[in-house]
Amino acid sequence: MNPNATFNPSSVRAAKARLGVRLTKSLRTGIELLTVLLVVGGVTLLFVHSSVGWLLIGLAAIPAMLIEWYSGNLHHPSSEGETIDGLLSGDVLGQLGQNPTPQDIVKAATKVRGGMFFALRFGVTEQFLLNVTTDQPTDTAAIWQSALAVRQEVGCPHISGAVLVVAVIDSFHDSQSLLAHMKLSREDLIAGIRWYEHLRDLVVKNSAPKRTGGIARDFSFGYTPLLKRFAINLSDQVGMRISVDIESHKKAIDQLIDTFGTNGRQNAALVGPAGAGKTTIVHAFAERLLDAKEKLPPSLKFRQIYLLDSSALIAAAPGRGELEGLIMRVLGEAYSAKNIIICLDNAQLFFEEGVGSVDLTNVLLPILEAGNLRIILTMDEQRYLQIGKRNPGLVNALNRISITQANRDETIAVMQDQLIMTEYQRKVTYMYQSLDEAYRLSERYVHDLAMPGRALKLLESGATYGESGFITGNSIQQAIEQTMDIKVGVARGEEEREKLLNLEDHIHERMINQTHAVQVVSDALRRARAGVRNQNRPIGTFLFLGPTGVGKTELAKALADVYFGGEERMIRLDLNEYVRPEDVSRLIADGADDPTSLTAQAMKQPFSVVLLDEIEKAHPQVLTTLLQLLDEGILRDIKNREISFRDAIVIATSNAGADRIREYIQRGYKLKDFESQFIDELISSNQFKPEFLNRFDEIVVFRPLEKPELVQVVDLILAGINKQMALQKVTINVADDAKELLVERGYDPRLGARPMRRIVQRAVENLVAKQMLSGEVAPGTVIEITKSQVQQILGE
Amino acid sequence: MVMLLVTSLLTWWYTDGWRARAGIVSHRLDATIDYFSFDLLLKTLFAPFRQISAGNVDGPLEVKLRALVDKLFSRVIGAFIRMTILFIGGVVIVVQVLVGVVILAGWVVVPLLPLIGFGLFVSGWAF
Repeated sequence: MNPNATFNPSSVRAAKARLGVRLTKSLRTGIELLTVLLVVGGVTLLFVHSSVGWLLIGLAAIPAMLIEWYSGNLHHPSSEGETIDGLLSGDVLGQLGQNPTPQDIVKAATKVRGGMFFALRFGVTEQFLLNVTTDQPTDTAAIWQSALAVRQEVGCPHISGAVLVVAVIDSFHDSQSLLAHMKLSREDLIAGIRWYEHLRDLVVKNSAPKRTGGIARDFSFGYTPLLKRFAINLSDQVGMRISVDIESHKKAIDQLIDTFGTNGRQNAALVGPAGAGKTTIVHAFAERLLDAKEKLPPSLKFRQIYLLDSSALIAAAPGRGELEGLIMRVLGEAYSAKNIIICLDNAQLFFEEGVGSVDLTNVLLPILEAGNLRIILTMDEQRYLQIGKRNPGLVNALNRISITQANRDETIAVMQDQLIMTEYQRKVTYMYQSLDEAYRLSERYVHDLAMPGRALKLLESGATYGESGFITGNSIQQAIEQTMDIKVGVARGEEEREKLLNLEDHIHERMINQTHAVQVVSDALRRARAGVRNQNRPIGTFLFLGPTGVGKTELAKALADVYFGGEERMIRLDLNEYVRPEDVSRLIADGADDPTSLTAQAMKQPFSVVLLDEIEKAHPQVLTTLLQLLDEGILRDIKNREISFRDAIVIATSNAGADRIREYIQRGYKLKDFESQFIDELISSNQFKPEFLNRFDEIVVFRPLEKPELVQVVDLILAGINKQMALQKVTINVADDAKELLVERGYDPRLGARPMRRIVQRAVENLVAKQMLSGEVAPGTVIEITKSQVQQILGE
Repeated sequence: MVMLLVTSLLTWWYTDGWRARAGIVSHRLDATIDYFSFDLLLKTLFAPFRQISAGNVDGPLEVKLRALVDKLFSRVIGAFIRMTILFIGGVVIVVQVLVGVVILAGWVVVPLLPLIGFGLFVSGWAF
């Protein structure tokens, strides 16, 4: 128990806070008006020789003092002591009466900014909090205790409305379930208070006047007309952006100051992945250089950063040699001006020939090596290595500063600051859950960008999917679902739920039996769409074993068709084409070079069925490469990008041991009797390694189809033919004994049901074609096919 | 309670309130000093203006001499402009300091104004 958890409503601070709350805006305006009237009236009376004027002027001091007192003290009374009434923020304290009940506290807290912040950003409204609190003054002590604990945990100077909201939830006996219902954790609420306090700090920081050197700042530095034409002055944009103080950026800026503040080569290469914030660092550096209050080496104070515009330079000097001349003049001007730092953003544009880029290595290398002109280069790691490979001297001349991608907390902090502009521009409000979701989903689905850039990209896309102006976790899910054509949330629509619950029936509409296999894939998909699966693995990984023509591939196709939206949603790899060790590179090739590689297809279509056909034929190195995919649901492509398979069902098929399955069946064994023994045999015969088989969620053995099932297969094929014939308004009906004959002729113990389609097509379609051409069939006719007709076509 | 509040107001007025007002006056002075770039102007009083004719020149004696004269001219121009700004800034700062002193002294008197006003009213004096 904290002994300070006492509330004295009669303290002077409480009385001041109450007075502060009573002095509403309109009342304050009235008091200000009264002051002016008294002064003006007093002066006027003095001019008409009335000494009453002195009295009025003297009295004007009272309302004037009241207004000053309000803005300097009553509005935000400073904390006094460690008791509740000494720490409560003035706006809340001013609303509380003698013996506040928990519900009074809720009403007071939700009327002030901190409480409103939680209602907006977390959906924790006044009504919600009233439902979990009582109107018993005896329950208030628990809230005060919680409030002191929360304040201490967060490190706030006072107990704000935001702290009280969290304290109220904390003091609820089943707060965990309450938060779980809102898809929040206590850590989220604490992060919410920090976010609110951070925004308050930002307001204070940005309302403080900026010191940027004054009117004579650039008197000692040269004119820069060329630079103004061919570069963007980042220092002019200072104050127009919200700078984010994250640890990794601060470190990089300190390194820049160190590099440029000491003797040595005056250049720095910011090397890091796109989206990690290299350009943002340059902006923040520009801001720091212009801040008179910053402690900087004198040689850096008030220096300005110009971002060279490569396209403007190329457009102005199209001829051979002209560009080099222009660049020399621009850089010469920067050097002579003495206060310029040149920034080559995406520096590869200046070191390689291409559209919008030009190789100026010959001009820039001597300048970089001499190290007199201050230059910042930004580029990604890959380009840096490429440039280094082409020209090792260039890389040796650069002072490299590595920029790593932001971690989760830093990314959330960047998003919170970025939201200030986005919300203003898009007229929306982001809820906390949307930030969390943007980080989680972008980490999985947004490629080619690092954090925080990738999360910001998704967060901005989410603005289009708001619900009444609020961007929620669902909005972010919708954004990624719409842009990437995947399903990331739990099943929402009635139609989808029905499909999931009856998935087996839907699949059996196009494939016969193999109920165990159908059930395991259906279960996996249901788990995924109910949100109860492991998010760090594929939806399901299955190995289908069995002879040819028993429905292994057909099940994968059926699943893609029924649930994933069509057979084209299946990524199929025939692994008999991956029999050499060098085929691994084909598997993980960059999409730009080989759009058919596994990683390229998964990148384009992460929500799909991945069918790895005839897996036993793949080279062991290919199988080793696939282990990570099966285990963690990721595969690194040739560019070392993480490609996610966590929204795919991975099905591998194999004919290995097909003869053994047939043998077991012929000897009268049931599938479940020999399944595990059969898998042991596969391992002992070295067809599969145990560590490979262990990666699958389930290994399903398909048995050869029996005759009654084959008749059903014939029915399925006939249903397909009838569907085609629907255009001609003709229906085909095959007699039962004719179907049995088709099964007899179409079944091959080695090829399973595969020849069946050919036989049925030969017998039925040929017969129908002849009848139609001879004019025996009119639209609306039902063609009856008998056993003798089939016999005649297929021969005795 | 009213007496407590009045006492609280007067206590604040002569302690934190006055300090806060002094802070505002001081911030305004800082802003003016920054606006007129005082420290920069003093540090670079004789530097060539806008780097015109600055830098080392190599060549025959005649060229070097001309560069020296040009640079000297640039320095004189620079010093003149800087001193002018320093003078104007100095005047503004002096005025601002005086206004600040009046404000801070006046702040002390404000709570007494009702009494002073009443006294003057009773005396019957007017313009």
